[in-house]
Amino acid sequence: MTVGPTVAGGLKLVPETEHDWMLLIGIAGDSDSDLAGRLAGLMDEDSMWDEIVAPELAEEFSKQRITVVKEVMRAKEEEDEIHILKGSVDVWYGALNQARLALEDKYRFGAREDVDPKMLEDSSARAAYFRNNFYSHIQGLLLQYVMGD
Amino acid sequence: MNAVDAPAPETRARIKKKSDKPWQVVVLDDPVNLMEYVSRVLTNIFGFSREKAEELMMAVHQKGRAVVWSGNREKAEMYVNQLHSAQLHATLDKAE
Repeated sequence: MTVGPTVAGGLKLVPETEHDWMLLIGIAGDSDSDLAGRLAGLMDEDSMWDEIVAPELAEEFSKQRITVVKEVMRAKEEEDEIHILKGSVDVWYGALNQARLALEDKYRFGAREDVDPKMLEDSSARAAYFRNNFYSHIQGLLLQYVMGD
Repeated sequence: MNAVDAPAPETRARIKKKSDKPWQVVVLDDPVNLMEYVSRVLTNIFGFSREKAEELMMAVHQKGRAVVWSGNREKAEMYVNQLHSAQLHATLDKAE
């Protein structure tokens, strides 16, 4: 996959293999649909966060995942590039973040320098680790090239 | 029904003093959110300068938590809602 900034101030993703497409489609698959519930768990019961705020956040997070999958599927069907522009960058960043938060919750990678090499002997953990790093790298590029002032 | 004695004046004063304490918006560290993203979110939500946002972000990173705002509960909840929407780990605390 080729990834780079565009003159329009966006980021271009050019998948080249089936594996690249699967990697992008996997963003939604890696995401945890209960992020809103887990964030609500940080609040005290008096706030009624579960009932009042979490459902709205869950819907917002769901929209992010659906939008990204739809865009990837559209690009795949049309054999097109994916352009992430300012107008859609929050959705992409959020979907990638959801995937990373869910992977972290499942595998507990921690900071990159703290990763236990033994954990990576497991093939699914190793694959998840590389996907997590890929998502993080794309997020870094979004911050650098698209979300800047 | 049993009658409930009214609290002594000193107790009332202590209760009032405690309830007068402001609510704090606390951002918690997590190993996922990128440092630059955290700074950017703090700037966007609270209008902090870049320097102030980076200082608070570093406090979150190094100490595990940082109080980023304090005031009335309603506004504090609004800020936590915005932080959750940005997928940052945040909560409310009563000031000590």
